[in-house]
Amino acid sequence: MNNDIIRTSGLRKHFGKNEVLRGVDLAIPRGAVVGLLGSNGAGKSTLIKCLLGLLKISAGTATLMGEDPWNLSAHTKSRIGYVPQVVHLYPWMKVRQVIEYTGAFYANWDHAWCRELLDQWDLDGAAWIRNLSTGQLQRLGLILGMGHRPDLYLLDEPAASLDPSGRRSLLRSLLEITEDREHSILFSTHITSDLERIASHVAIMGNGVIDYFGELDELKDSVKRIRVHSPVDLPPDFSVPGALRTEINGDSAIVAVAAVNDEVIDGIRDRWDASVDVEDLNLEDIFLELHDAQ
Amino acid sequence: MSLPPQLFRVATSSGVPIFRQIMDQVRALIACGDLAAGEMLPSTRELARELEVNMMTVSKAYSRLEADGVVERVRGLGMRVVEIRDTRSATERKRDFQELVAPALHRARQLGLSDDQILSVVKKALKDSSHEQ
Repeated sequence: MNNDIIRTSGLRKHFGKNEVLRGVDLAIPRGAVVGLLGSNGAGKSTLIKCLLGLLKISAGTATLMGEDPWNLSAHTKSRIGYVPQVVHLYPWMKVRQVIEYTGAFYANWDHAWCRELLDQWDLDGAAWIRNLSTGQLQRLGLILGMGHRPDLYLLDEPAASLDPSGRRSLLRSLLEITEDREHSILFSTHITSDLERIASHVAIMGNGVIDYFGELDELKDSVKRIRVHSPVDLPPDFSVPGALRTEINGDSAIVAVAAVNDEVIDGIRDRWDASVDVEDLNLEDIFLELHDAQ
Repeated sequence: MSLPPQLFRVATSSGVPIFRQIMDQVRALIACGDLAAGEMLPSTRELARELEVNMMTVSKAYSRLEADGVVERVRGLGMRVVEIRDTRSATERKRDFQELVAPALHRARQLGLSDDQILSVVKKALKDSSHEQ
């Protein structure tokens, strides 16, 4: 039994000669909260759109809830909640009207929850869409994408235009949603601090491929920065197994290592008679180290 | 009685995984006597809500603590702190300690301290810590 809610293999997408996705392999288990991390232009939004069937993939395979994204059944569509990066809505409607309008497309729309979210996220139901700020529009977009209580949430930069209190409210709602471990979330972001609170997994994307996919805790446990101080000058070819980046400065070196273990550390201590300090890295540091390593 | 979840704090942008921070805090609370054997940890839901972190993170911390023999799962009630006794032999416990001392010794040598000087520092530290007790 395949328990992956999203699965891709060698997924490619090009626009003319411009290849944006160059073979994405991903298997996201049900109940996971995945933060999709990547610099601008890495292909995050394109990947999400391919998964939703909004873009047709050029090569490779993808399944979403076991179905081909390009031919999703109505039932599966009703179980997905998608919030695009930029929310376009009718400026001549009021907030409450656009919620009613969107809700009419769904059999299982949760009106009570929408009212609750409006309240929690400080949105006025009587406000005109055209008068909303970017952040308010994003909040409304989230409500519209969540009102039918989907099983799978695909959120493209959901927190990008939210202020700190808005981000907190969003995080709290997402945490509540995932408490039952049945709902899955994939959200792209470049704000790592949000991700660290709620993500169970991270997918780090660079240049159209997934550089890392796994549990956030495992990533933090394995990628470390070590500082080496030796009594003598280190040679220019000083190296550490699994090094992502090495910076040598006379008798000391700073090395970012993908998989640190005691063996590696003891090896350096013995070989160079050096003192070795291991530094924990937060997600932002790890992201930058992985990014610089390329 | 159950421990108030407000006693816990996590630094989400620290390099230490959040589940490990929770484990460390439970151990610290036990070590400094704030949490005694027989007391209950907050429920996973309660603690996850207080810290605003994923519930899976909290249950991971609790499961690891259970595996380490620090707490036990009581059906329908939650996690209870058990009486901690290190049952390993003195040799094993000494080896643990030696691993902690090794890097400090290395640093001391780099600082140019003699064995006698190192010993005197250790003796003084021992004396200070017994005063605190």
